[in-house]
Amino acid sequence: MNPYLLGPLVVSGITAFLALLIALTDRVVNDYGTVVIDINKGKKRFEVKGGAPLLGTLASQKIFVPSACGGRGSCGACKCRVTSEVGPVLPTELPYLSKEELADGTRLACQIKLKKDIAIEVPEELFSVKRFEAAVSSIRDLTYDIKEVTYALEDPNEIEFIPGQYVQIVVPPYGDLDEEVQRAYSMSSKPGDRNKVELLIRLVPGGIATTWVHKHLKQGQKARLVGPFGEFRVHDTPATMLCVAGGSGMAPFWSMLRHMEAENAHPDKDVWYFFGARGLKDMFYLDELRALEKRMPRFHFVPALSEPAPEDNWTGETGLVTDVLDRFIKERIPKEKGFEGYLCGSPGMINACIAVMTKNGVAEKDIFFDKFA
Amino acid sequence: MKETEGFKEAHERMRPGHITAQGFLGADGRPLADIVARDEGEFRRLGLTFEGVAAELRRLRDEGRRGLGEPITVGGAVVTVGDARGLLPCPWDDGTFHKDSVAVERGGTRIVYSDLSIHMLERHHFCQGEGSAFRLDPGALKRVVG
Repeated sequence: MNPYLLGPLVVSGITAFLALLIALTDRVVNDYGTVVIDINKGKKRFEVKGGAPLLGTLASQKIFVPSACGGRGSCGACKCRVTSEVGPVLPTELPYLSKEELADGTRLACQIKLKKDIAIEVPEELFSVKRFEAAVSSIRDLTYDIKEVTYALEDPNEIEFIPGQYVQIVVPPYGDLDEEVQRAYSMSSKPGDRNKVELLIRLVPGGIATTWVHKHLKQGQKARLVGPFGEFRVHDTPATMLCVAGGSGMAPFWSMLRHMEAENAHPDKDVWYFFGARGLKDMFYLDELRALEKRMPRFHFVPALSEPAPEDNWTGETGLVTDVLDRFIKERIPKEKGFEGYLCGSPGMINACIAVMTKNGVAEKDIFFDKFA
Repeated sequence: MKETEGFKEAHERMRPGHITAQGFLGADGRPLADIVARDEGEFRRLGLTFEGVAAELRRLRDEGRRGLGEPITVGGAVVTVGDARGLLPCPWDDGTFHKDSVAVERGGTRIVYSDLSIHMLERHHFCQGEGSAFRLDPGALKRVVG
């Protein structure tokens, strides 16, 4: 044999042998066989192939635990309570778990590798979460950085949800993104429109999903949604609702208000809706909400601009929405029925509104919110 | 600047799909040490200090939070502070940081940064690679906060 070929052939042979050895070892050492996942003390039980993360394995059995980072362990959303022995908490989980959660066995489903039978507890609402195949039926610019995106549901073609709940959109690989990720958005459509889901999506600098929606998504394109999730909803009491939002935080309230009008839902509730923006170019649905105010006497819309431009010719409320809220609670809104707070926005906005509301006598237990973070 | 083992590991974690889907390097193919050395030189040339810029970025973020997620004017700059779910670890593995995004626009120049960006700038002199959505270009920093 040619001596120049012999060397490379020997090296290739040894490399191939070692690769085979590693593959065989991996199969034996990392073969966890079949494991059983017990959910909520026997309410559901699956026999699955071991070795994969719990989050993905649950999804393969149509149990969709919310996750915003695609299982990277960087969002802390996929919490579930593990009631069987599953090994120590990983350093990757620690930043996301409080002392109480650590004590009661809460873990991140994306960080648990299924090596043996496991018992977990998740909210029962997750049993009704579905994955929807859909097509984008319309995309509309509401402002320079907020789009209204409507999805026509195809399979299944109907969704049941409570106004205030959210879905996760599945973002396919694009650009540097080499695997799909999911991001959560509140639904702005009303539950009566069962064949569609409408979302309000604001462009976030560097945001994976918002960049996808704003720069790449086209009408007619196929898409995938997972939901519904969340416990943000109108409570069935006669207390007056104090709703506060800005930007795409409009979404759950647009759903709630249209549902209340269409179904005469919660007929005893008065609603005061404070919507904050910087200038008129950041404001949207203004005409629609003013029209709704005329049709529904128990609804009061209070848009507020913090820095109106002269050309806005703004005659409405000015100042930060929290200041306007404070003034209205003190001076304008009848107090006889008591108050409930409903908030949708960033943690900073929510904390500021909670401070104003509690200072004005609204009990913290009566303040409900959908925090973006 | 020499590419130490710590730099090599951090560089690896900065690639897309490790800590964030898009990574911290943009389209920049240079070694991490070269990216840092080049930006350190630019800081010196422009008369900026990493500590001073980091302090100013924090101040704009804190003032911008008064806008409650909406844009607000802070001393001639328009600042918008947004939040996302979760935490991000530093590629150098020396802390985790809340996922926020602060956009500051002044005189036609716009910068976008997060708590992690401030930390990497201050502690590691890393402004992110060319083409990264969160790159803090020294020239842009000079125009916005300098």
